[in-house]
Amino acid sequence: MADSREPPPLFNDDKEDDNDDLFSSAVQSPVSEQTTTPEDQRSPEDPLTPPPPAASLTPEPHNPGTPPDLFESVAEGPVVVQGGSPKLSSVPLDLPAGGNGGEGKQQPTFFPTPLQEVSLEEEGDEPDIFDTMSSPKLQLNQDTSEPPVPPSSILPPMGAPLTPPVVPITPTATPSLTPNITPAAPTPVTPVAVARSSPEQAEGDGGDEFIQITVSDPQKIGDGMSSYMAYKVTTKTNVSYFRKKHWSVMRRFSDFLGLHRKLVEKHLHSGRVIPPAPEKSAIGTTKIKLGSDKNADSGSLDFIERRRAALERYMNRTSTHPTLRADPDFREFVELDAELPRATQTSALSSAGVLRLLNRVGETVNKMTFKMDESDQWFEERTQQIESLDAQLRKLHASMERLVNYRRELALSTAAFAKATAVLSSVEEHSSLSRALHQLSESTERTQTIHHAQADADFYVLSENTKDYIQLISAVKDVFHERVKTFQTWQHAQITLAKKREAKAKAELAGRMDKVQQAQEEVTEWEGKVERSQEEFERISRAIKKEMEQFDVMRVKDFRDMVIKYLEDLMTSQQQIIKVWETFIPEAKAIS
Amino acid sequence: MMDGMEDVLPSETNGTKSGRSDTVDLNDSTLQVDISDALSEREKVKFTVHTKTTLPDYAKPEFSVVRQHEEFIWLHDRFDENEDYAGYIIPPPPPRPDFDASREKLQKLGEGEGSMTKEEFSKMKQELEAEYLATFKKTVAMHEVFLTRLAQHTVFRNDHNFKVFLEYEQDLSVRTKNKKEKVEGLFKSFNKSTDEILLAATQKDVDDYFEREKTFLLEYHMAIKDATTKADKMTQAHKSVADSYIQLSSGLSQLGTIEGPRLEKFINKVADTFEKARKVEGRVSSDEDLKLSDTLRYYVRDGSAAKDLLYRRLRCLANYEQANKNLDRARAKNKDVHAPVDVADAELAQQNACEKFEHISNKAKEELNDLKARRVTAFKKNLIELAELELKHAKAQAQLLKSCLQSLPEE
Repeated sequence: MADSREPPPLFNDDKEDDNDDLFSSAVQSPVSEQTTTPEDQRSPEDPLTPPPPAASLTPEPHNPGTPPDLFESVAEGPVVVQGGSPKLSSVPLDLPAGGNGGEGKQQPTFFPTPLQEVSLEEEGDEPDIFDTMSSPKLQLNQDTSEPPVPPSSILPPMGAPLTPPVVPITPTATPSLTPNITPAAPTPVTPVAVARSSPEQAEGDGGDEFIQITVSDPQKIGDGMSSYMAYKVTTKTNVSYFRKKHWSVMRRFSDFLGLHRKLVEKHLHSGRVIPPAPEKSAIGTTKIKLGSDKNADSGSLDFIERRRAALERYMNRTSTHPTLRADPDFREFVELDAELPRATQTSALSSAGVLRLLNRVGETVNKMTFKMDESDQWFEERTQQIESLDAQLRKLHASMERLVNYRRELALSTAAFAKATAVLSSVEEHSSLSRALHQLSESTERTQTIHHAQADADFYVLSENTKDYIQLISAVKDVFHERVKTFQTWQHAQITLAKKREAKAKAELAGRMDKVQQAQEEVTEWEGKVERSQEEFERISRAIKKEMEQFDVMRVKDFRDMVIKYLEDLMTSQQQIIKVWETFIPEAKAIS
Repeated sequence: MMDGMEDVLPSETNGTKSGRSDTVDLNDSTLQVDISDALSEREKVKFTVHTKTTLPDYAKPEFSVVRQHEEFIWLHDRFDENEDYAGYIIPPPPPRPDFDASREKLQKLGEGEGSMTKEEFSKMKQELEAEYLATFKKTVAMHEVFLTRLAQHTVFRNDHNFKVFLEYEQDLSVRTKNKKEKVEGLFKSFNKSTDEILLAATQKDVDDYFEREKTFLLEYHMAIKDATTKADKMTQAHKSVADSYIQLSSGLSQLGTIEGPRLEKFINKVADTFEKARKVEGRVSSDEDLKLSDTLRYYVRDGSAAKDLLYRRLRCLANYEQANKNLDRARAKNKDVHAPVDVADAELAQQNACEKFEHISNKAKEELNDLKARRVTAFKKNLIELAELELKHAKAQAQLLKSCLQSLPEE
């Protein structure tokens, strides 16, 4: 039945929420939140009453307990987290009060930036704090009624400038912990995310948690085939359950992959979308392994840079998801000073790898063959939308890659031209023309640098992020598929139940009392299973709906941010080009 | 198209290609030549050459004839082969009209039609058609420049072949060289280049000035050829960037429809901006092409013609020295009076060679200086125009992006 990890629906959460509430209310940073706290506290109490989130996903955030208005109003302005709660870091940035998802703690903290609520203690129910950037969907809070499954939080894909805009939200989280979360708002981090004040920060929750992860310093360790790239993972956080505020560890690529696998194993079937990890690339890795340190040619440097950026985005996405952040594996990954045990299963060539491959093939076949009887209109629509979004994004990504390539070509050819012009200018005997040509060569050289930088922006801002999105969407599809699987289980259980009943009836008819007894037991057993699997199915459906809401909001915001940033970059390039030509004109005019 | 071309061409050609027109009084109506019309028929382009003249030799003061590219080449060859003009730089012939690249692209586009949306397809088609048109205009311009230079050259304009070219209403029946003649032509040019190399190696020039010029021209020619190829590549790349915006823009608009109301307006604005930006980029690319690449290209050819001139001179010098040697030998052999003919012959030959040589040398000096001046002026003009246009476009794009950014957050 439901994953054992989750507390039994509703009640456990509530209990935990209560804890949270206590703390959170104390901690309530945003003023408004304060008011809601008591309500929040109330809400956990009656988890059952609140309208099943499923019914109205959107208004989710408004838990019966929490007056929607509060949330809204809170969400509206950049909520300045006031130090109401000691935990809330008063990050002046507009951090949206992280919606504390969590049932229970619904502190409608609307910090613009995703506040992550930390309530690790409570076991993962982290409120679905989608803090990621503005995932205002408060719904988290609301879902007290929701099955314990913390809404699958979809982590903010776009880590904006890499760092999840984790706003230092002192999450009310860690309720269990003494609220000595220093409001140490890691201000430095904020700039990134904070900029976006998402009024709708639904995260609601007082977590002013803030966690920012940077991946840097790729280093090659070892030599030859057994060498590998290690990255420094630096974490800055004020989340209480971490031992320190700021530290770093060295991790290798397979460690990242191992983490991802573990998270998937643990959380996928509860309907959460796990951010996808960067892919393995045999070619790139081998190149690096075999190449010496000195001749790191631009090709492998590029590869390393891409990978580093991808890892950083991945880490930030994962950390913004409150549940995932609280996961012990994640914490160990981020905190443990020593080397992690080799995640052998992630190696492509191992037997585990082969097993995984087979599994995947099996799953794909399953996906294709089993046609679920979709009773829920919502899912029907969403699945379709996801599919078409996927296709369209892929196409868009392809055209973005083309743009990147062409622009890189442009940069190269401009550089070649600059050199040729320099030669020409040195040959030219007319002195002022020669000077002008020389200027032309320099101007072209400068434009080339601009083009090159723009190509990089094209790549990192547009293309890579779109790719990330495509991967996220496939993670979403995975989640949807999980639901289908649950449905399958349910159906299967129903069928078996029917069979058992039949068997029992037959046994009764035959008058075999002993068999009847046994059959009866089986029937009961299967009835229980049917019930549980149905519940599971419904639970995961609800969880997905919530996650999707968050996902949507986040997606939209990220997309906008990405495009805006790109346009700004483009504009800056053009302005630089303007300067270049402006300096050239007088030179050209000076030809006598 | 014709009207547009008429507007465009005179200014283009007069300004850009032939620096000479800057210095010559354009109102000199003694002989004015232009291409008033051009038709593209399948493989061929037919130019309507229109002449206005006050010279008495011509039958009518104003007239037009239709000429094809081959006839231009014929005219050029007549000048080239004329020994009287050995001391002059012969204006380089216009390149063959080449629409192959455009045609290929159009074809590829047609093949890929299925994979893109209708609007994308029509936009790309429009782009290609504009490209085709631009190539067309360029080739007309180049033919016109060739004729204008001849018409304004004090000596060339009186050439008989030129007159025939301008006036003769029938087809000049210049058949393209058949295979044999092509092979002959090949041989000739091969011989010429080996000769050139030989001469360059062996013949010492008496005049320092020419020696310097030769070295200079050679170096310069290589450098400018290189620059032209690179410039071409650059403009091409620029154009590809502009074109790829089309797909980006249409991909975005499709995304907008899927996304639904939340993002749709936003996305559509962005897609629109990309569309406009692409047009600007496209113009940047074509202006670069026009001002930069074409100037460079033209001076490659002109430089080539100058090199030819120098070669001819050198050859003449070699001949002259040869004639001298012959004369000496003749004189040596014919100490006796019996064969004064040989000596006389040799003397005559030597005299001719001497005259020719001096004539060429003088003319060549003038021409080379002229070329220099022309080159400097043309470069100056084009570089200024290039810079101004680039500036204009960059400003336009920046403005476009700025307004887009301003309007976006409103949502």
